[in-house]
Amino acid sequence: MAEQELHFTDEELNEIEKIKAKFPTAKAATLRVLWVAQKKYGHVEPEVQALVAKTLDLPESHVHGVASFYTQYYKEEMGKFVLDVCTCLSCQLCGGYDVLHQIEDRLGIKAGETTDDGLFSVQEVECLGACGYAPMVQITNGVYANNLTEEKVDKLLENLKNGKMPEFESMVMRQNEKRIKAATE
Amino acid sequence: MPEVFIDNERYEFEGDHMALQFILDQGMEVPFFCYHPSMSIPANCRQCMVKAGQYIKDDETGEYELDENGERKIRWFPKMQTSCALKLQDGMVIQTQETSEEAERAQKDTLELLLINHPLDCPICDQAGECPLQIQTYKYGPEGSRFEVKKVHKPKRVELGPRVTLDAERCINCTRCVRFTEEISETNQLTIVSRGDKNYPMTAPNQEFDDPYSMNTVDICPVGALTSTDFRFKARVWEMNQTPSIDITNGKGCNIDLWTRDNQVLRITPRQNKAVNDYWMPDEGRSAYELFNENRASRPSIKLDGSNQSNTSWNNAIETFAETIEAHSGDDVLVIGSPHASVEENYALNKFFNLLGASNARFTPHIIDGYGDGFLITDDQAPNTNGCRLLNLNETDHKDLATAISKAKVCIILSDNLVGRKVVAASDLGNTYTISFATNMTETAKASDLVIPITCVAEHAASYVNIDGRIQRSFPAKETKYTNRRLNLEMSEGRLDRYGTNFDNWVSEEHKVDCLPLWDFLNKLAERLGLDYHVNHSRTILAEISSAIPSFENVTFEKMDEQQGIQLNLDNQKIKQK
Repeated sequence: MAEQELHFTDEELNEIEKIKAKFPTAKAATLRVLWVAQKKYGHVEPEVQALVAKTLDLPESHVHGVASFYTQYYKEEMGKFVLDVCTCLSCQLCGGYDVLHQIEDRLGIKAGETTDDGLFSVQEVECLGACGYAPMVQITNGVYANNLTEEKVDKLLENLKNGKMPEFESMVMRQNEKRIKAATE
Repeated sequence: MPEVFIDNERYEFEGDHMALQFILDQGMEVPFFCYHPSMSIPANCRQCMVKAGQYIKDDETGEYELDENGERKIRWFPKMQTSCALKLQDGMVIQTQETSEEAERAQKDTLELLLINHPLDCPICDQAGECPLQIQTYKYGPEGSRFEVKKVHKPKRVELGPRVTLDAERCINCTRCVRFTEEISETNQLTIVSRGDKNYPMTAPNQEFDDPYSMNTVDICPVGALTSTDFRFKARVWEMNQTPSIDITNGKGCNIDLWTRDNQVLRITPRQNKAVNDYWMPDEGRSAYELFNENRASRPSIKLDGSNQSNTSWNNAIETFAETIEAHSGDDVLVIGSPHASVEENYALNKFFNLLGASNARFTPHIIDGYGDGFLITDDQAPNTNGCRLLNLNETDHKDLATAISKAKVCIILSDNLVGRKVVAASDLGNTYTISFATNMTETAKASDLVIPITCVAEHAASYVNIDGRIQRSFPAKETKYTNRRLNLEMSEGRLDRYGTNFDNWVSEEHKVDCLPLWDFLNKLAERLGLDYHVNHSRTILAEISSAIPSFENVTFEKMDEQQGIQLNLDNQKIKQK
């Protein structure tokens, strides 16, 4: 990674220019540009942070500080699919750890690790704000897989192995299901 | 005039003031960590909480509303305010921890929170004794902590750069160091990484904190998180004496403090002077303490055969010196003053040899073009170049000096490493009888036929004129073989109740250098030569300079002490300001 010179393509630079135009200072665009970089490389390792700093003409220390503040930026290379298993209170009560251990079992890795084929990383995370549909898993800072059961987890892993991401689902709290159903009928 | 009421006292103010600074200016105290008068105000340590409010004024009548007791009604702000970021308004009421139990409680609780993950390792911490966290915890903090859970562990002994070591566990994330690199040194080398209870200051990955001003972060760190790699574990602060002095490593003349123990200077820290260096100094100046302790010229030495120098007695040195002078006419003697020596030394030397018929002393500025940075590092490598100019010594370039040396039969050099800084080669000094007044055994001193050891800036009171023409002076900080801190009333003695005990800052009588102030040696030489020349003290020399040379009119040590230096008029001088 370090040997080859990292750079943004013209297209990406255009995108960055557009992002910069939305903010009063280049500094304010740090978060968005780090996303551009993470989308491209899959992580923001120090070299990528340096690239972002160079592109925005900011001190490397500042970009490093920002990147290290947010857990959603991956400071090291992760698997293609990063499974963020919520083990915060609601998920924990509804079996969050069961989900975590099941995933660990199936993939043969522990939380915080990445599979050898580079396909999966598993992390234990705090509340993702989906307490109503616990237990749940977030996939690579993106879609949520909600109301998980053992079968659902296996299905999810199977689908991901085949490169199929779960669809975004619009969730309704269980206690509201009937009411909403009645209202829409 | 707008008025504020602080702790039930009325104060008038003009212009914009922040409550904390205003309170400090009145000589009162509110504890704080992150605030620094020369940097921006982030209000992130939350320690300077005060209770604040506003007297209620009727908009129509402009009268204060009164309660049933006839007292003015106060509308308190809904929460405690951080006084560092609280701008004073007309009619504002502030209660500090002195009068408000709420403020006292707020400060106490903030400290308890700050200390949750602090290791409390004061007994092995370098900052102990000069630590705002330690002091304020004793003063305002809780008796104990309710947090009995395991502390969060963070990196320790991290070498941030060549001169600064970080202990992240001690850090309270005040961001003073980060703001210093952003706002003062402008290298932006530091940032706070991670978040929550795991954060601490750090450089970007694979970068080192090699800022030329990096050690200022050690000074402003309100805890023991950033420590000087060089000074760590060398001494406790209460074992040292603190003496004001002047940085002699460049032309800026930063105001400094010398910290001494057992007649050794152990560290150098900046001393605030708004007109010169504010609170800062370059890292280079801090390593100058080695010049004061090591490789000193101690006892006169003389070259007897070939190039071998050996120590000799003072009597022999004086006799040799006098015989050399007597054997030559004044014309054959070349006197070289020094921008590295003080005003008093240059003047005394020049006057002495003028009396003997030598022509006006020369000097060569020590300037490295492009070395400076426009802040506190200057092209000028010497502390007193302008002093030499104002004393009307002959400013001579390298070539002319070498020519003059080759023509002279006797060459007298005042502590200036001419060989080391490549003004002349050691071989150039071979044909003349060279006498060096030296503080350190430099290449020049080693190449000399006679070396007279003289006191350095840490051992005498003398003044230096910086590149902006400000004259500032030093105090004796360490004893020589011939001085005694009880008798030398200028020296800081340490605590009198400890004098002569095991707890004195002078436990051993070692590390005293066998040297004399230049003027004392000249007195002895004058006596031997039968010359009418005698000075008691550098103070007398300065008095003479001030009456003889218009540029130094009204300059006295007292005035320098009162005003932190005196600005001299450089108008008649061609001064390169770099």
